[in-house]
Formats: sequence, structure tokens, C-alpha cells
Amino acid sequence: MIPQPRAPELLRGFENAAFESNAVFRTILDAMAHPGRIYDLPLDVPAPTGLNKSATAFLLAMADMDTTIWLSPDCASNAANAHLKFHCGSPITGTSSAADFAVARLDGDLAFITDLALGNAEYPDQSATLILQVEDISDKADMILRGPGIKESQNLSVPGLPAAFHTWRAENHHLFPCGVDVIFAADRKIAALPRTTRIEVR
Amino acid sequence: MYVAVKGGERAINNAHRLLAEKRRGDRDVAEIETSQIEQQLSLSVTRVMAEGSLYDRDLAALAIKQGRGDLIEAIFLMRAYRTTLPRFAFSKPVKTAEMDIARRISATFKDLPGGQILGPTFDYTHRLLDFTLMANGEEPATAHTADHPVDETMPRVLDDLLNYEGLIQDEPNPTNDDAPVADLTREAVKFPADRDLRLQNLARGDEGFVLALGYSTQRGYANSHAFVGEIRYGSVAVEIEPEELGFAIDIGDIELTECETVNKFKGSKTKLPQFTRGYGLVFGQNERKAISMALVDRAMRAREMGEQVMGPAQDEEFVMEHSDNVQATGFVEHIKLPHYVDFQGELELVRRMRAEVLERLAKADAADAENARSQPEAAE
Amino acid sequence: MEQTVNNPLEASSAYNFAYLDEQTKRMIRRALLKAVAIPGYQVPFAGREMPMPYGWGTGGVQVTAAVIGPDDTLKVIDQGADDTTNAVSIRQFFAKTANVATTEKTAEASIIQTRHRIPEKELREDQILVYQVPIPEPLRFLEPRETETRKMHALEEYGLMHVKLYEDISRHGHIATTYAYPVMVDDRYVMDPSPTPKFDNPKMDMMAALQLFGAGREKRIYALPPYTKVKSLDFEDHPFEVQSWKDECGMCGATDSYLDEVILDDKGNRMFVCSDTDYCSERQDAGHRGPQHHDQPLGTSHSNGKAAE
Ligand SMILES: [Zn+2]
Repeated sequence: MIPQPRAPELLRGFENAAFESNAVFRTILDAMAHPGRIYDLPLDVPAPTGLNKSATAFLLAMADMDTTIWLSPDCASNAANAHLKFHCGSPITGTSSAADFAVARLDGDLAFITDLALGNAEYPDQSATLILQVEDISDKADMILRGPGIKESQNLSVPGLPAAFHTWRAENHHLFPCGVDVIFAADRKIAALPRTTRIEVR
Repeated sequence: MYVAVKGGERAINNAHRLLAEKRRGDRDVAEIETSQIEQQLSLSVTRVMAEGSLYDRDLAALAIKQGRGDLIEAIFLMRAYRTTLPRFAFSKPVKTAEMDIARRISATFKDLPGGQILGPTFDYTHRLLDFTLMANGEEPATAHTADHPVDETMPRVLDDLLNYEGLIQDEPNPTNDDAPVADLTREAVKFPADRDLRLQNLARGDEGFVLALGYSTQRGYANSHAFVGEIRYGSVAVEIEPEELGFAIDIGDIELTECETVNKFKGSKTKLPQFTRGYGLVFGQNERKAISMALVDRAMRAREMGEQVMGPAQDEEFVMEHSDNVQATGFVEHIKLPHYVDFQGELELVRRMRAEVLERLAKADAADAENARSQPEAAE
Repeated sequence: MEQTVNNPLEASSAYNFAYLDEQTKRMIRRALLKAVAIPGYQVPFAGREMPMPYGWGTGGVQVTAAVIGPDDTLKVIDQGADDTTNAVSIRQFFAKTANVATTEKTAEASIIQTRHRIPEKELREDQILVYQVPIPEPLRFLEPRETETRKMHALEEYGLMHVKLYEDISRHGHIATTYAYPVMVDDRYVMDPSPTPKFDNPKMDMMAALQLFGAGREKRIYALPPYTKVKSLDFEDHPFEVQSWKDECGMCGATDSYLDEVILDDKGNRMFVCSDTDYCSERQDAGHRGPQHHDQPLGTSHSNGKAAE
């Protein structure tokens, strides 16, 4: 185990908030508009312990004092908390059902996903976004995606995605327009899985 | 010959120059200074601050000058400026009970502790044009100073005097000053809306609109006859409590008019008959707006009081969606923008429908004529 | 740290990039992501007062301001034209506050903000179309209350809309809606396409570009991801159809574009010309000529035009 400094030193956030948030947002927007398509993170940011670069960049671009973040136990660290508090000003919650943005690791315990906010029939937008940190993403045909944003079909592979995820996702898709949108965040690559996407698992 | 319209950019720039010229008016007349507006058109200034949701007298005066005296234009300028301001802190609730009183009256009691303080009011002036103001103008006489100062603790009619008997619905202060308060400039409005949001909407709402709605409640489009329990006008301190300090600091004074109305409530199976309240609070001295706001606030409490909704003033969705004059003026006026693409579609449709009707009529005529020709033969 | 506006009267360098402060942009961006995730659903957002009036495209401007980056090239059209006064004004606003490149060429733009038209040229995957929307709620004229229309969307209760359209058919023999013609998005949400002529509705279906809709006064954002099914509401016995013209464009001779009618005199003479100015001038540059083009002899073929079915 890597020893943690008692008072973690603060890493920098974006160097130019306007331009860098815009670049990251545009990548996320493209990813959401093209489910399963893999996008490179457009810039390099230092990531605190517990978070990878993509997840960090996502939160720096999208989270602020008006959004609540939940970090799974394997992502939560003093450094991550301090980083998000300082750069985003976001409240950090211990209750996954209260999260606007939930961050977790694919290889960790995913039991929490069924607690995430789904929105309601009148306001399906009042739902959580799950940022799932993964080792890798590729366009191997492990999953075949269809739906809005996809011309015919889109291949996607996220090594290590457990069957429980697919079960949850299938139920989730069934609840449309309610549901959770998922961002697969590899260290320098992202792909999105909005609630509309139908998945065929190979 | 048709030449596509070009030169929009030049036309716009020149229109702006012409506007500036019109604003200035005759150059032989001295240009008005914003300090003169701030001092001498002070009620315009406070209206612009109130509906512009930004307390800054100098900027309001500037906006009035820039808007050529069009107050809705000035309000719009203030709003557009306000929206770009970073938010540093939230103030503590202002304490109107501790207001430095300039005027305080009650319609429900002839005399009351603290007294009726008339202050600067048009109420008893005779509305005769004062031509001396137009000529050279005489320095107005200065007002006399009262023999003794206003009571320092001016009891509030509704809380301190009427509530003594439990005759009025209790509205306890929130136990927590830091309890979140809705802000429609920061989050989208959702219905049903709570009272904090409704009051914010009314405080920013168009004076004329709120006045007309308040008036309608008095004419039967709501069932809440109101008395003015108290109007007070004066200045209060605004305090913020920075997290790192841990105590409140005074950042300045603002002028406010507060109105509380007393409305009858017949009682229900579970509640004794008692009086209920309407509340109005507005920047500056503006009793018309404060009273109207209190009437509409009370009317919009219909849901909470279990009253039948019978007029527009009781319908929060109607009131809140139409009270904002910046929104209203924009949407009403936007129909002067080009709509020729849509109009083309309508033109095509109306022509087609006319042609179809004419064709049907022609067919019917032809059939009639055919019938008329064949009729005699049939008779044979 | 974020740079914010201190005084709008100062030079434009005092403004944050693209006018809005970063927090407002984030709020709009979050709404945009939800809008993309729920195609056709109207996401409430805390619209801000902009320095142009409500009704002038404040929703579109806020969406563009949240999306635009320094490398974008912006095109703004109103009624299909780049040179209408409001299009000019909005283009100037972004040229000044975001210092971005602007263009009148549809093909060169990465972001196109529009009022009332979709360009004739097919849009690409690397383009974003931003619509200015006055009334985002397609059911609003059937039911004025937001609380009610929200319920209707939640329950997919669109019967009222079909009744309204069918009333047209029984009265006029066809549907009498020519613009803001309602569409069904991905078989779920009925959506207002903004007041574009129904001529443009088919372009929305399976469009390669991302389509974003901003309603500033009504404080709603909605979206169509690329390649999303968009179907204009109709009936089996009365299928949806678009306007067509008997005439061609007087300038470029196009017969496949949306035409505006131009009144030439008080004797009933008129001509038709493409509403999409870029499309028209590109065709003219390529040598296409309509009957009223400058280098045609005058009065050769004055159409006393009537739009045909
Ligand atoms: Zn043409």
C-alpha cells in the first residue's frame, strides 16, 4: 500500500477554465451524442489518488457547488475529496442515492448502482450520471449498441464488465425516460452509454 | 429588379447612432447627469432596482438615462448586467423589525404604539401641476424636524400587536437563518411553487401587472378582503456572514417598503376563525407595489388555505409565468422580427384552401346547372 | 481562476469567453447532456438574462455560448438568411465575446445557430445545429398549464394532439399546420421542431449532425442526437407532406429549396427566391441561373407565381 501524506498536497485543476472545460465538455457531448464511440481525452490533467485523468477532467468540467458528488469507497481519498472540494466546490455525499455524479471503479463493488437516482416520469432529467473508471475501452464487438446517436450499430468492449452490470442496465433501459447515463472513463479515453442505448451482449 | 437585401450590419450600426442621437435630444439643452436622475427621479430609480433585482442607485440612474427614460428598457439593462455578476455570498435575512423608519402607517388601528409616522408621501397632496417647478423653480421649504425621534423599537402591527391575542395566523421566523431560500435566477421554476419562490417572482414582477392583479382581487376575482395592517418604509442593514469569519458583517443599508395585509379567514373544521396575512416587500419607497404584492401573495395562498381558485391572481402558474416584464416585453415585441418563412407557409396554405373552396363551389355550380338542364327532360 | 465580467460597459475583453460565466455554462452543459440522453424531452434550465431581448434568440445564444470553443466556426441564420438583422447581430455578439471565426458558408461552419430554418445543404457529423425556440412545448396551445403538459408527456398522452390535427382534416381536408409542425422523437416524445416550416421536418430525421434546441424565456433545452428517428405526426389516410412550389428560385433556378415570395410591385407581380441565402449564392456561383437573375434580360419570365401543391 502506498503511504498517503497526511495533508495531501493540492494538485492543479484546469489551467484555463474557459477553454479547458469547453474542450472536455465537447468531448463528453460528442461521446453522449455517439454512444459507444471512443474519444480521446483532449488534454492532460493531474488526477488525485482514487481518480483517473478522464474522471477528474469530467468532474472539473461538469461539477460545481450546485452538484453533489458521490465517490465509491475505492475512489474516495483525502486527496480526491480535497481536489474536488477546492476546484469544483461540490458537496461530497456519503449517500449514493443523493449523487448527481457517482464515481466508481469497475473492479470495485457495484452494489450501489441500483440506488442511483433515476429521475421521475415528469422530470427524468433528475437522475444521476455514473462515471465508471475502467482499465480500457475498445471497439471489439463484445457489445453491439443501437439507438439514437448510432447510425446502424456501434461496437464497444469494456473488459471486466460484470453480468450484474448488464442486468442492471437492461432494467435501467426498460425504465426509459428515467434512467442513469454511464460514462466509461479509461485513463485517457472515454465512451458514453446514455439511457437510450440498446445493448446486445456477445 | 430584385436585389437580395444586404448591408444589415451597416443598417444596425447606423440605427444605433440614430438612437444615441435621439437619446441626447436637442444639444442646446444641457445633458442630464445620472446624479440628477439618481436624486430627482428617485422613484424611477427604485423601481428599476426592484424589478431589475439589483440594488445599485447609480447603475439604475445610468440605465434610465441609457434607456431614454423607458423604465422597462432600464430594468432589462440592469438584469442583463446582474446576470454576469459573480455571487460572493448570501445575505442574512434583513430585519425589517429593526428598520430605521421613515414612514410607518397602519390602517387597522387609529393609534398604536410607535404612532402613525406619515413621512414623505403623495397621499394627501392635491394633484395640481406645480408650475413653479417648470419655471425657475423655487428651493422647496425644508421639512421641520420632529420634536422627538421615532421610537427605536417600532412594534410590528401583525406580529407584536395583533398576534398578542392569537387572532392572526402565526408565521414564525424560520428557526434557521441559513435555511435554503429558492432563487428563480439560479434554478428553473417548477410548479407547484413554494411561497419563497412566489414572493421572489412578485418582488421582481412588473409593477403594473402586479397592481392589476392586486386590484382584481378586490373586485371579486379572489375572495380575500384585505386591510393594510402595516406599511413601513425606511432603511435596513444588509449583513453577510463569511464562512471564514464566523460572524456577520454589515455591508451597507438598503431602503425597503414592507407591507403586511390582514385578511379574514373563516376558519375550518380544524382551525378557529382568524386573520391571515399577505406580504409585500420591495426596494425603495413603493407602496403601490408593496400593497399589490401583498394582495397577490395572499391570493396565491389559496392552495395552502384550501380556498377555491376563482381568479387569475390565485393561480400561481398564471401569475408567475406572466409577471416578468423583461420576458413579456421580449416575447410580445419579438413578433416584429422577420417571420417571412413561416408567413410563406401560411400564404401557401390560405391560397390552397381558397382554391379548394372555389373549386368545390364551381363543381357545385356546374352540377346545379347540369341538374337545371336535365330537370325539364325528367319532367316529361 | 475564472474570469468574470466586472463592467459590461468596458471593452469586450472584460467579458468571460463567450459572455456567460463558467458556472452558468456548466449549468447549461449539464442540461444539454441530459437533453441528448433523453431525445425530445424538455430539460428545465435556469436561463439567464442575456444582453438581447427574450424572443430574439436568447435560448439559442445561451446554448451556443455553452458549446462554442475557440476553434469553432460559427454561422448564424434567421429565416435561412445570413444577412437578416438579427442574424448579423448575434454573429457580431459571438465574434466580439468569443473571438471565433464566423462564416456564411454552411459547409465551413462547425456550429450553426438558426431561427426558423434548417439549411438546404445536408449537415455532417462534425456540425452542430442550434435552434432558437420561442415556445418549446408542442402541447402548449392545447393546454396552457405546464403542470398538465408535463403529465401528458410523462404518460405519453398525445391523443389531444392527434384530435387537433384530425379536426383540421375534417374541416379543411388536410392538416392546416405549416410551421412548428409537431414531430415524434424516437417513438417516445412529441417535440416542437421550433417554428421551422414543415418543409424542413424531414431533414431532422436521422440527421448526421447533433441538433440542440434552446428556449430562453421558457427556460427549456432539448436535443436530437445524430441518427435519431424523427417522424412528423400524421395519419395513415392523410400522410405528412411538405410544401412545394410551382416556381423555381428566380435567382438560381433551384426547384428543391424552400422559397420566399418577394413582392415586386403593386400589380401582383412577385417572384420566388431561396430562403437559404448560402444555398442560393453557391448555386449561382456554380453557374445556375433563375429567370430573374441580374444577368438575365429583365422581364423574360415574370411568374405570377402561385405555390402549387
Ligand atoms: Zn436560389
